[in-house]
Amino acid sequence: MIDKIQAKAKELLERGQVSCFIGYEEGTRRKVRPAFIYEPQDVDRLIWDERCTYNLAVYLHQFKSPLKRGEEPPRVGILVKPCDSRSLNVLFHEEQIERKRVYIVGLTCEGVKVNGQLQERCQRCSERVPLVYDLLVGEEPNEVGQENYADVARLEGMSPGERLAFWVREFERCIRCYACRQACPACYCFECVAEQLDPLWMGIAIDLPQKQFFHVMRAYHLAGRCSGCNACEEACPTGIPLSLLNRKIAKEVEALFGYRTGQDAETPPPLATFKKEEELPL
Amino acid sequence: MTDFEPRIIGFLCRWCSYPGADLAGTSRIVYPPSLRTILVPCSGRVDPLFVLKAFQDGADGVMVLGCHPGDCHYLEGNYHAQRRYALMHRLLEYVGIEGERLLIEWVSAAEGGRFAEMVREFTAQVSELGPWGGRRVDR
Repeated sequence: MIDKIQAKAKELLERGQVSCFIGYEEGTRRKVRPAFIYEPQDVDRLIWDERCTYNLAVYLHQFKSPLKRGEEPPRVGILVKPCDSRSLNVLFHEEQIERKRVYIVGLTCEGVKVNGQLQERCQRCSERVPLVYDLLVGEEPNEVGQENYADVARLEGMSPGERLAFWVREFERCIRCYACRQACPACYCFECVAEQLDPLWMGIAIDLPQKQFFHVMRAYHLAGRCSGCNACEEACPTGIPLSLLNRKIAKEVEALFGYRTGQDAETPPPLATFKKEEELPL
Repeated sequence: MTDFEPRIIGFLCRWCSYPGADLAGTSRIVYPPSLRTILVPCSGRVDPLFVLKAFQDGADGVMVLGCHPGDCHYLEGNYHAQRRYALMHRLLEYVGIEGERLLIEWVSAAEGGRFAEMVREFTAQVSELGPWGGRRVDR
């Protein structure tokens, strides 16, 4: 697989079709890190294995504007897994980057591992082929998982008081480092509500009310835009189960509006549109 | 809790619900003083952040009132609001703020009586739940 990826990246860079190819490379301490390849001779650095968990779509934001004023924005090549391809569709729909400026190398994915363990999200993942790609690498595996929302349902089964206690315990650990926001490909506001000082929506104290506000706000801003790549939770230094929040919204969005994030680049996200005839129970 | 009077924030749309509340006033209909009204141009203007902020700053309940579907002065604001709060309601419930503390309803300019009735009912509903603001959790 990796030969094909490297060959394609080399071809793209040599022909000048892209100015940068974003992939994965070997990092320190047996970890994988994102790689930005600018020269054709560097393509040997690229790797692909089950440790490549990062969602590279987040780095596309760096290539949105030209290096010099008046120039065209650069073209990029990018490696995507099926979950990441949903993020790409969100960015295309929101006109963050033009489809024609991105060359997408899609990977068929059997799930990625952290510390040798297949991630939970990959165990439930029913998608093995990206939704959008220019070149597909790899063969479609025949074994797929099944989405079940069991973890969300467990929390839903609690009483409101228990749920509050649960979330207070989790949110209390938050240090407001905003790693979750930075890791998210769909969080790209120039000025985040969490850092706005005028109007001061959230307050600058690192106290429970601010943390609660931040996390609910963050999750809600991603309603219908979260692709479930779990980058936020992996980035969190204190291990807050953010996927529980994101997945709850994904579940409700699917139930209420019949929409899944990034299903294509045309359908607007559910909160940006409406149907006159619909009756939404509270 | 007998002497508990909830603090309720009401976002009232400028074209239907606010005149509706006005009508309740000019018609001398009595309703609980627990409601603090905030005038907004349209129910579609009510960013879910407003609701979160209200809860963060100690409101016990939040009402979002707009024109009936199809009657919006801006044609579609209340449809957007409907979608937003259907989702917001579920999310608040999930993070432990009882869904009964959030109300989204449609009140027209002619429904002063209905408005007063709604405030009465919602106040009773929130009183039953008890205070939210400043609630401490044992930990």
